Amino acid sequence: MSRGTSQVRRSFEADVLVVGGGLAGCTAAIKARQTGASVILVDKGFAGKSGQTPFAGSYCVFNPEWGDDLDAWMEQVSSIGESVNDRVWTELCFRESYERYLELLSWGVRFGADGDARAGVEPQRDGPPVGPCKAAMMETRAPSMTLRRQVLKHGATIVDRTMIVELLTSGGQVVGAAGIPADAEDAVDIFTAKAVVLAAGAGGFRPGRWPIDNLTSDADCMAYRVGAEITGKEFADPHHARLDQAASVMFGRYGRDPEGGGPPRGRFLDSDGHPLPPMGVLDLDLDRAVHAGHGPLFIEMPDGVRWPMVGGAAGGMSVHKAEGIRPAGTDCSCNVAGLYAAGDSLGTMQSGATYAAIGQSVLGCSVTGAHAGAGAAAYAARAGGPAHPAGADVERAAEAITAPLRRSGGFGPRWVTQMLQNTVLPYYVLHIKHGDRLRAALANVEFFRDHLVPKLYATDQHELRLVHETRNMVLNAEMRLRASLFRTETRGCHYREDFPVRDDGQWLAWVILRRAGDGMELFKRPVSAEHRPLTAGGVQ
Amino acid sequence: MTIEKIDLDLCTGCGICIDSCPMDVIRMDRAGQKAVIRYPQECMNCEQCALDCPEEAVTVTPYKTVPLISSWG
Ligand SMILES: Cc1cc2nc3c(=O)[nH]c(=O)nc-3n(C[C@H](O)[C@H](O)[C@H](O)COP(=O)(O)OP(=O)(O)OC[C@H]3O[C@@H](n4cnc5c(N)ncnc54)[C@H](O)[C@@H]3O)c2cc1C
Ligand code: SF4
Ligand code: SF4
Repeated sequence: MSRGTSQVRRSFEADVLVVGGGLAGCTAAIKARQTGASVILVDKGFAGKSGQTPFAGSYCVFNPEWGDDLDAWMEQVSSIGESVNDRVWTELCFRESYERYLELLSWGVRFGADGDARAGVEPQRDGPPVGPCKAAMMETRAPSMTLRRQVLKHGATIVDRTMIVELLTSGGQVVGAAGIPADAEDAVDIFTAKAVVLAAGAGGFRPGRWPIDNLTSDADCMAYRVGAEITGKEFADPHHARLDQAASVMFGRYGRDPEGGGPPRGRFLDSDGHPLPPMGVLDLDLDRAVHAGHGPLFIEMPDGVRWPMVGGAAGGMSVHKAEGIRPAGTDCSCNVAGLYAAGDSLGTMQSGATYAAIGQSVLGCSVTGAHAGAGAAAYAARAGGPAHPAGADVERAAEAITAPLRRSGGFGPRWVTQMLQNTVLPYYVLHIKHGDRLRAALANVEFFRDHLVPKLYATDQHELRLVHETRNMVLNAEMRLRASLFRTETRGCHYREDFPVRDDGQWLAWVILRRAGDGMELFKRPVSAEHRPLTAGGVQ
Repeated sequence: MTIEKIDLDLCTGCGICIDSCPMDVIRMDRAGQKAVIRYPQECMNCEQCALDCPEEAVTVTPYKTVPLISSWG
């Protein structure tokens, strides 16, 4: 570590830089270290306390020795995920799940109702009655700190409280990243690395009812800006929450449960008191009921207490593993040399168009974390000496990143975020979609992009983070609106009122977004022929 | 009101809640003695600060108010 002049406060160098310290990033850091690579893990919060990992519970584990049938598990995901799951990743995650589970146990992560699960003994596993897939329960909150300790024990360096803002490239290859530390004013940290793993989680529009306000699609956005392919932005995550409580998930969702959490046990009612399906395509049916004029909706607890409900709790986020950087192979590389991704930042399409099995998300984080860590370390070993970003490029990046601090006026990031929320959070934009409304929202978002974002200003380093998060939320909104317009059918968590039918002839395909000059290009990449359902002319 | 208060009589200034907060809401006071609520607007009610404080000095509620919409800002 050395101290420089101007805005560059600290410079770091490692073989592998991991961005994000959730389950995926920690696993990647450990796996890269195990090959002998030097590793720095950087997190915009405190690795182990930030991101979604602290809140997860169920972990999907497949093991033929416990009587599990791979074909039946695959069928569950393909049928519920509506055949746009990437079967390579679905299968790889199932097959590796037991190995990853054992590894987590060996690192000290506790599973089972009393945290007493042991290697070699089948833990209690559960799953909704929609198919055979099952998950073991992982203790909440503690695993992420357990993983942090393992990262340090394996000899990686952790840099907390620095938000990575941009990737640095040289000759078309990623050679590091630049970020802003929370605890120094007008300062930039520079990281030089032979390979970078983006494991910065998912992102939303600060919806306030799901604990993801700190996640603003930073990985997708910085990868997009250097030319990476992004996928899955049309498959909205439609979780609901209590209307009267922010982040009600954390407060027991429907009142505090003296037993300590557990799934909601109430039933959903419409404004006339008629029961609604407990789960359709996740909660999208609740949005449909509201759209048909049957709102407001309530959840009625067994004791008769009714809580008002609201959708869009995770507004701006996709079904996990649908959205993100599209992998080029199972080493979690992508179309940009030196760039890897893992966890919610990687669009493996493991689950397809909706949540098809319980606990698949964290499983996917473990598996892709392990693959990305090993893949990035192997790439770094092949790369030889470090490819340093040009000094002028570093200065330019530092100048651009801190420019909002030098603007005397313009638009405040909190206000622009609120305007964005007003534009894209209502259910009728990105949940119950229609081409007309998508285009109308897009016109606004383009205005934000072209007129508001370039004039964002910050009065201190904390607001500088908000500026860059707001910029990324605006880009995420544009990606979602364009991907939603592009997919002219209905499938899973993508519902188009003007194209209400699933169209396997046209859309057994993934939507890919890519930067083209100053514009965004979209194209589809077909699901491979051998992975198509029989009805669509496949061989399965 | 999200994070409502840090009880300064209970706070020992250990700094745990600052690390627990994913939104950079809490900072140390200038003297480095006590935790202060610096950026309450960003609080997302995740409760981690309250759950992690060894002195139970932090109060978080499930309610959040947002500013009125204004035509510029
Ligand atoms: C309430 C809740 C319950 C859930 N329950 C389950 C469940 O039971 N089973 C399941 O499988 N899944 C569940 N999930 C989903 C699961 O938690 C996530 O899919 C998973 O934890 C994602 O892990 P990750 O490592 O990819 O990202 P995260 O854990 O989100 O970590 C991302 C990290 O990156 C950091 N970061 C972000 N941007 C930057 C940046 N620009 N610079 C530096 N660092 C950055 C963040 O601070 C964070 O630490 C749940 C999620 C929530 C919110
Ligand atoms: S965790 Fe509690 S005791 Fe420690 S600084 Fe925060 S409020 Fe004070
Ligand atoms: S509730 Fe969460 S976001 Fe709010 S101050 Fe505490 S840790 Fe930070």
